[in-house]
Amino acid sequence: MTGPPVPFREIVLKVHSRCDLACDHCYIYEHADQSWLTRPKAISDEAISWTAQRLAEHVKSHALPSVSVILHGGEPLLAGPLRLRRVCAELTAAIQPLAELDLRIHTNGLQLSPRYLDLFDEYDVKVGISLDGDRSANDRHRRFADGRTSHPLVLKAVELLREDRYRHLYLGLLCTVDVANDPIAVYDALTELDPPRIDFLLPHATWDAPPVRPNGSPTVYADWLLTVFDRWDTLGRRVPVRLFESVLSTLAGGPSLTESLGLAPTDLVVVETDGALEQVDSLKSAYEGAAATGFDVFHHSFDEVAAHPGVKARQRELAGVSETCRQCPVVRSCGGGLYTHRYSEATDFDNTSVYCSDLEALIRGIERRVADELVPAALTEPSALLAEDQDLTRALLVSLHGELAGRGGTRWDRGWELTLALDAQGDPLDSLWRHPYTRTWLQDTHRALAGKRPDAVERALRLPSYLAAALVAAGSPTPVRTPYEEGVLRLPGLGELRMGEPSASGEAEVEATGDGFVVRAHGRTRQVRLTSTRRTEDDDWRPVRTLGGTQGVPLLRLDDLDPYRDCFAAPTADRLTSAEVERWNGLLSEAWALLRQFAAEEAAEAAGWLTTLTPLTSSPPGATETPAAPSLFGRSSTRERALRGHGYGALGIAPARNPEQLAVELLRGFRRAKLNALLEVGDLYAQDGWWRYPAPWRSEEVPVSELLAGVWERAGLAAFDPEGADQAKRGLATLERAAELTVSGHRLLAQLRRELATDPGPLPRQGSDGPGDGRPGQGGGSDGAARWAPLAPSPPHLRSQPQQSAPSTGCRASADSPGSVARNASCDG
Amino acid sequence: MAIQTPASFAVAKRNRVPLAQIDVRGGEVAKKLARIIPATADRTVRTSSFNSAL
Repeated sequence: MTGPPVPFREIVLKVHSRCDLACDHCYIYEHADQSWLTRPKAISDEAISWTAQRLAEHVKSHALPSVSVILHGGEPLLAGPLRLRRVCAELTAAIQPLAELDLRIHTNGLQLSPRYLDLFDEYDVKVGISLDGDRSANDRHRRFADGRTSHPLVLKAVELLREDRYRHLYLGLLCTVDVANDPIAVYDALTELDPPRIDFLLPHATWDAPPVRPNGSPTVYADWLLTVFDRWDTLGRRVPVRLFESVLSTLAGGPSLTESLGLAPTDLVVVETDGALEQVDSLKSAYEGAAATGFDVFHHSFDEVAAHPGVKARQRELAGVSETCRQCPVVRSCGGGLYTHRYSEATDFDNTSVYCSDLEALIRGIERRVADELVPAALTEPSALLAEDQDLTRALLVSLHGELAGRGGTRWDRGWELTLALDAQGDPLDSLWRHPYTRTWLQDTHRALAGKRPDAVERALRLPSYLAAALVAAGSPTPVRTPYEEGVLRLPGLGELRMGEPSASGEAEVEATGDGFVVRAHGRTRQVRLTSTRRTEDDDWRPVRTLGGTQGVPLLRLDDLDPYRDCFAAPTADRLTSAEVERWNGLLSEAWALLRQFAAEEAAEAAGWLTTLTPLTSSPPGATETPAAPSLFGRSSTRERALRGHGYGALGIAPARNPEQLAVELLRGFRRAKLNALLEVGDLYAQDGWWRYPAPWRSEEVPVSELLAGVWERAGLAAFDPEGADQAKRGLATLERAAELTVSGHRLLAQLRRELATDPGPLPRQGSDGPGDGRPGQGGGSDGAARWAPLAPSPPHLRSQPQQSAPSTGCRASADSPGSVARNASCDG
Repeated sequence: MAIQTPASFAVAKRNRVPLAQIDVRGGEVAKKLARIIPATADRTVRTSSFNSAL
């Protein structure tokens, strides 16, 4: 086991080792470990001071933004208010100057009184209470040593906690499951107490001491919990239930919310009343001394404990679960279950959970119940994807405003206030949100701020350029003071105006007019007319030109100017000549006609979101093949790539030899753009890179992101690449078993299954059907050479070859060769 | 002057939350932003995951 230790963010501080109840299911007193017998009853002053000191060191050395300390026992209130005051005071004094301190206490509630709660109010200590449900349920285990019920006293404690003066301290209720109890009655009894949250715990058990299964059912605990889930759901999920929310979170690609589920590394350490530093105390259910580390706060740092083999064994994520678990599709949600529940004397912790069947049934049961809810509309509705994408750009701008935190001065404030005012009007900023490189500017500026680059704020101050461009596009005559740099005033998506010497910089006033805009600076006024869709240029004005707009081709920007357009895997082309633009236009018309004929659905959908084509160059061999983002354990390679993204609406396309090639590259671009947009607004998978899979088009195994992207792209091109379609089908079969896929990811697979099932098969070879049958290849490529007849063997620009190394994936998640748009085309345009 | 206004863009605007009301630190929005920009360290308290307490 190598790698740096995971810092502790949760400290369980045992302030008292005895309890005033005698619950027969308690892991502290009733299970294998009996070390409580040798511990001091209450934590000593010295242990408190050393704990505070060690924790402060730990927070400082790991720059932790926050840390939680849970006061625990035994029964922590038995420590008494004076001792608890000392604990709170010392921890607050040591930690609060360094990080946020989250203090909690978990109690049976019997001793809870205003005296304690006033103290907790003073130090903002949140209070959780153990309660197993209604009276009969709670009485099943939670009794005094003489058999008396504790239920009325617990209710009294909760009642006190719910008073207005203490309500803010009420953390919630913790319930241990007993399947002999009525699940509905338990749930209703808990919710009647209006808890801010609830959690249900499986009773601690191991393979040597398995849980009680009254009817012998292997899923009796899942059945019980699913009954509660249904009740919870029916009543509108008014109270957060940690167990259920954790499963919902992991099914959607998020983190687990409890150590009893999921693969997150443990970040928890226990300080016993004698200052001993131990692993999580539920291990006491496994065997005597299971939680011990041999360290204590007096002589050892928290880092030393973090490096302890027992702790590190629980930080190995997927590698830390049994082989059976590693192959299981639900392991991302269950995480192999609570570590303690895996124990057997024969094989230690290298087992599935003794609750394995229950956990799988619970997770699959919840998945069945909520699948539709967890699939975002963006996955099934193109307009919803567009809306989500634009919302993301809008949120980025708001985030930038927050990140600047006043550093933009009056120039930013002026732009921001105008932005808010225009936004309130509804329409004037529409083109700002639609312009795909607005997103690139915002992401670039966020990175610059995060990296503390000296010009970061200056980058942010380009906001008025975007506002001015949007207002001009909308024809809205609101003057905007707009910066120009290096002698150029840039209006993203519209064009750029030369303002003087290349070194000139300053501000000019831009205002829309009926047919264009005026620019006022240094006493001069310049008029720019934007009357033609082709947007002719002059000596000073260089417009973003347009393509299409006729014969069913959507009107698109050919953006070879935007300073942020260089966000593709291949380099962008310089400004095209007018002749080159005309050639692009001709190719596009023919290519789009082919798409409408042979990929009508994709073409129609693209016409709804595609706004911008950016010309790329065909690159020198190898120049675009930068190493793929490494698949870091626990990190999404897709997310790494997305940091250089752009909004949904742009494609980077290298010049094509003929319409057929352009049509294929457009279709490939549509698929990539859509998948990337989906990945930016939702989670199709999680823990990318934790598993590797064979990909039919690669000699090396690949992470799920690459497999999915490859299948997605090949499925889209199936009609034109039979070899790729076959690879897609085989890749899809592999994906069906992938543990990384979220509910949304599985829904996407269903879509792929439908696509591949309806694959129309290869198109006829040119000549086989005679001329003029309307098939691709009959229209004639511009160079008269290639015809659109990609039968086996596929043309070189389509053929899927096994690759030896992962190519660059650039700024967007893509299949196997995201640079292929550039690499595979020869530059004759 | 708008270059392209297909119906899909109009649909996309329908449920737009005004900029002034977007809470980027709120759960869903923060989660979405985290996919595309570097996470910033703050003092937000992480949810406790200790099984034997809330």
